[in-house]
Amino acid sequence: MADKEATVYVVDLGESMADCHNGRDESDLDFGMRYVWDKISTTVAASRKTWTLGVVALNTDETDNAQDCEGLEGYENISVLQEIGPMTMSELRDLRSLIQPSHSHGGDAVSAIVVALSMIEAFTKKLKYNRKIILVTNAESPIDDESLEDVANRLNDSNIELIVIGIDFDDPDYGFKEEDKSKAKRKNEKILRKLVDQCNNGVFGTMAQAVEELAIPRIKPVRPFKAYDGPLTLGDPSKYESALSIHVERYFKTKRAMPPAASTVVINPGRGGPSQSETLDEDTEMGGTEFSGVKQMRTYRVDDPEAPGGKRDVDPEELEKGYMYGRTVVHISDSDMAITKLNTKKSFTILGFVPFSSYSQFINMGETGIIVAQKHNEEAELGLSALIHALHELESYAVARYVQKDDSQPQIFLLKPNPAIEDDFECLYDVPLPFAEDVRSYQFPPLDKVLTVTGSVIKEHRLLPSEDLKQAMSDFVDAMDLSGFDVDDEGKPAEYAPIDDLYNPTIHRINQAIRARAVNPEAPIAPPAEILLRYSKPPEKLIQKAKSEIEALVDAAEIKKVPAKAQGRRGRKEPVKPLSGLDVDALLGERKRTTISIDNAIPEFKQILATAEDDATVESAAKQMGEIVRKLIQDSFADLFYARAAENLRVMREELINLEEPAMYNKFLTGLKKSILRGELNGDRREMWFKHIIGGHLSLITQDESEVSEVTAEEAKAFAT
Amino acid sequence: MAWGGDDDRRPEADEGQEELDETDYKTQKDAVLFAIDVSASMLQQPPATGKKKADTDSAIAAALKCAYQFMQQRIIAQPKDMMGILFFGTEKSKFRDEAGGRSGTGYPHCYLFTDLDVPGGDDVKRLKALVEEGEDADEVLVPSKEPASMANVLFCANQVFTTNAANFGSRRLFIITDRDDPHGNDRNAKSSAAVRAKDLYDLGVVIELFPISHAGKTFDVSKFYDDIIYRDPAAEVGSPDEVKTSKAGDGLSLLNSLISNINSKQTPKRAYFANLHFELAPGLTISVKGYMPLHRQAPARSCWVWTGGEKAQLAQSETIKVDSATRTVDKSEVKKAYKFGGEYIYFKPEEAASLKQLGDKGLRLIGFKPRSMLPMWASVKKSTFIFPSEEHYVGSTRVFSALWQKLLESDKVGIAWFVARVNANPIMVAIIPSRNPDDETSETPYLPAGLWLYPLPFADDVRNVDLSAPPRPADELTDKMREIVQNLQLPKAMYNPLKYPNPSLQWHYKILQAMALEENVPDQLDDPTIPKYKQIHKRVDGYLAEWKEILAHKAQGLMESRAVKREAEEEDDEPPTKRAKPAAKKAAGSAMSNAELKAAYEKDTLKKMTVAELKDVLASKGVSAVGKKAELVEKLGEWIEENV
Repeated sequence: MADKEATVYVVDLGESMADCHNGRDESDLDFGMRYVWDKISTTVAASRKTWTLGVVALNTDETDNAQDCEGLEGYENISVLQEIGPMTMSELRDLRSLIQPSHSHGGDAVSAIVVALSMIEAFTKKLKYNRKIILVTNAESPIDDESLEDVANRLNDSNIELIVIGIDFDDPDYGFKEEDKSKAKRKNEKILRKLVDQCNNGVFGTMAQAVEELAIPRIKPVRPFKAYDGPLTLGDPSKYESALSIHVERYFKTKRAMPPAASTVVINPGRGGPSQSETLDEDTEMGGTEFSGVKQMRTYRVDDPEAPGGKRDVDPEELEKGYMYGRTVVHISDSDMAITKLNTKKSFTILGFVPFSSYSQFINMGETGIIVAQKHNEEAELGLSALIHALHELESYAVARYVQKDDSQPQIFLLKPNPAIEDDFECLYDVPLPFAEDVRSYQFPPLDKVLTVTGSVIKEHRLLPSEDLKQAMSDFVDAMDLSGFDVDDEGKPAEYAPIDDLYNPTIHRINQAIRARAVNPEAPIAPPAEILLRYSKPPEKLIQKAKSEIEALVDAAEIKKVPAKAQGRRGRKEPVKPLSGLDVDALLGERKRTTISIDNAIPEFKQILATAEDDATVESAAKQMGEIVRKLIQDSFADLFYARAAENLRVMREELINLEEPAMYNKFLTGLKKSILRGELNGDRREMWFKHIIGGHLSLITQDESEVSEVTAEEAKAFAT
Repeated sequence: MAWGGDDDRRPEADEGQEELDETDYKTQKDAVLFAIDVSASMLQQPPATGKKKADTDSAIAAALKCAYQFMQQRIIAQPKDMMGILFFGTEKSKFRDEAGGRSGTGYPHCYLFTDLDVPGGDDVKRLKALVEEGEDADEVLVPSKEPASMANVLFCANQVFTTNAANFGSRRLFIITDRDDPHGNDRNAKSSAAVRAKDLYDLGVVIELFPISHAGKTFDVSKFYDDIIYRDPAAEVGSPDEVKTSKAGDGLSLLNSLISNINSKQTPKRAYFANLHFELAPGLTISVKGYMPLHRQAPARSCWVWTGGEKAQLAQSETIKVDSATRTVDKSEVKKAYKFGGEYIYFKPEEAASLKQLGDKGLRLIGFKPRSMLPMWASVKKSTFIFPSEEHYVGSTRVFSALWQKLLESDKVGIAWFVARVNANPIMVAIIPSRNPDDETSETPYLPAGLWLYPLPFADDVRNVDLSAPPRPADELTDKMREIVQNLQLPKAMYNPLKYPNPSLQWHYKILQAMALEENVPDQLDDPTIPKYKQIHKRVDGYLAEWKEILAHKAQGLMESRAVKREAEEEDDEPPTKRAKPAAKKAAGSAMSNAELKAAYEKDTLKKMTVAELKDVLASKGVSAVGKKAELVEKLGEWIEENV
């Protein structure tokens, strides 16, 4: 269970925080707040009641804190901006308006820590919490160093972690030193460092490093989830006494994390449109109050030839559940719904064993599980361990049938032994395997030989690599090795791009953008952090290292890009022939086709165009095809012939693009649109227009598709709406 | 579509992230028309040999059984795809009855037994009756005296496809025949057939021939069919379309031989993505196509049925979007926003689009690793198969082949950045080679040779499972277990998925079929995924008994040594303070206030409650009260944390 948190941020708002330093073009406050906002918005994003935070401001013009109220001295110019509590967007908004540089500089940072400390003590009492104080300051205002030890003791007694992050603090480890540091700041830095050193749990760092590290994605921890707790069997214990049964527990090892999903919303009626929120007016707020969620309402219709449009609405109350068996509706009453579900009992049982060499990873169908023995069960511990070791020694996997709980669907798992040789963890890993229905048998030609029509085997062919190419590829693959390309902390070669370093770019990109927008709605979206795109290309150093191998491979490969035009017109060059090579066109030539019949329109249209020698023939064919399309629409009972009309149109469009005659198609379509919208084709044919023609991407041919077209993309878009 | 192009799609369309951009494709549906020759030789019963494995099916019976099986598989695996059956060379002729269609006289000796459509219960029933009972009331299976004109057969098929599957992405005519020269030396008849075949080609229909040869006689495709069949325009270069002849012999019945030939064409080869640029290195790009030979098949979802009419009817649902005041909202008003801290964070559409723009569609290699470096647990989803295409880069195939050979030889894998489609989320993949199916060392003889894009988990996908499972040395128990493992190898020492149909899926459709056909619902399923218990018992009973005995003994020893250790520790420690406290007062769980619960939770004293109390309180909070005590405590803790 995630621990409860209570964190107080102490933020220096002193007047010096409004200045820019060290070549930055943002103020010290803005620079520091980058870190603070990121942390706070992460808490908001989690929206957990048990993650609480408070904010104390140092160097405010006013003074507002409990200690000062009690009349204690030294607590001037310190204000509690927010008491400890869960954080929501509206609090975030309030806080945003309060974080402004003041005109003061008299606050004592250590006193502010004491204020924060008292807040935490009062809030968390003696309960189990992760307690934390984070101080962000440029340490320009004086600090009283008399009671450092008392403060540190109190922090330690209350088990509070103190994190001091200073703007332009010196940090030799990180490699930062401020050259023109003021005397006062140097002194204050020393005091704060001393305080942190006295804490059991303290961190002292410089803001530049903290801001830099913000880009490193933080992974949301998920508690292990126990998917199965029961016997792993070999044989049937209910029938045979000798059958084996080991009590195991199974957890998920991998589970795909999903990027946050956007919800569908509308702008609340009665409020301003989005344009208002984009103004800089202080009063307009971004975010929630403007938007509200959209719900889905379903309506149901059934075919009814007598109803207008052939369909009528039915009351959802009248509906029952069912399944489709092919095109037959199988109605199943509620009480029978379970009948199509296979009855299964929770179980995990081994079918047999297979050698390592009979398996390759790419048949994995999904996520991995991890199997360990039941806790405090000596038999299970020893038994599972023996199985793991035996499998490992024999280089074998187990294949098992897994039913997670009663009436779950059975799955087939491959169980892989992990005998704790590389890590300190003895277990089985499992991955799901495919069933018969999950495999589609697609045929592909072999990659290492070419078979001719007559069945002979060719080993040298333009489709096969030459010896040179094979050698160049081999050198290239070896040169681009990543297994020792990286360097670890001790300077030893290490694996490049291990899974620990692969962050899901989508998840973190969206989360970072959401957090940034929550804090600052007006700012444009920043480009993705460099770390997220690190593995989108090979490392530059590796490319340099393998330069000669790459060049040799490029030379040996002799790849030629097919010009864009040729791709579109392939097939026009030589007539297509059946396997025998018979010239069917010649057969046709004896009775050359000139008219197109509605029954065999597509082949006849294509054949006329293929042998057309003049524009007039093409035009005549296009005209006939157009007439057929119109006739099909006109004669269609409801939408019966629409698909066929659309297919004819599609062929017509494609062929006329190939012949560079887009105008013929565009002219016809413009006329067709008019006829349809005017209802000239025997009734309301708008469904044909919108669903089949526009929806089927059969609109005007644009210049993008055919250079000789006079229609621009914009015109086509306007035409389609 | 039978299989959605994208399994990333989540059930709630509203929240879905991956919006499919597959509208560019033609309807990717498949229509198959079986054209089965009804000749005297097709109908002839095989000679009775008295051998055990002798063929009992006539060629026509085998063809019909294949079609029947094909139909059933289609309903399960490709529920939106069409199928039809046309007999030719029949004495009777029949086309459609419907008005506007031609009467049977248009196509003499062609009998359209099942019109091209998504198969329905009636179609299955009729075909089943013909196959299993030999019920042929209409006397369809009577050969004509004259053979049918193949030109007519092909044109008949043309009409069936033109009207019923006008815009299907894949249309295929399966011809099953044992006649290699239907027209002998009749040149005219042959040319008309060739012309009609060209029509089919231009229409986009692919002809697949399934020739049957009878004992001793080979089927010579050059006599007639080479003029009819075209190379599949979508097929890879260098792959002559193999026409496999089915015959009885080699221990294989005609039926099995035909089934295996037809099954290999069951699913049309659909590319998941075409023309993907595969960048091996700066300056070296080839093009590949992607396929999904592995895809989890699940029962179709239930639907709503309207039973108010004469016949149960499928109710089509439409969704409209409404706002909080149940006002219907127009599509143009709808915006996308992210929930955050109880409110919505809004991005303009172009901003939202730019958020997803992390790289262009493509596959970019970043380097290579030994295959052993892939952690054995590193699995998240199924892999995609890629194969080279010469369409955009000439020479792609040879480079791909060189890479494939090198990876196999060195047992290495490529590591690459992969964006499958425009706007798809980028993932990291390992590029793993698969061996030739006829290679004896192939791990996957049921899958093609090529490269696989194996998705790697991101750090975000890995659960940190922190359990204590300290390693133990191998011992006597390990040795004994080895003997058991060695004696229980799966057949052919491999897991062949084709031998293990999915029991849930089979059961689901078996029941549906029985209901659709109004037959008795079966009460049992033949399920090969259930271990062969008897065999296991027979083979390793002795070893198991021995092993268990040693285990019991060792476990006893371990238990005792642990108890001793624990006692020693307890003596050292002060008595646990918790025990000294008075027992928690016996309150019925549900009588405890939230504040009391919270207090108990924070003091970590929930576990002092009895199971009955825990169940009581969980039930009162509407939380499932099932599980062991520890689980109940955890559940209650969670509830308190989230709600109090």
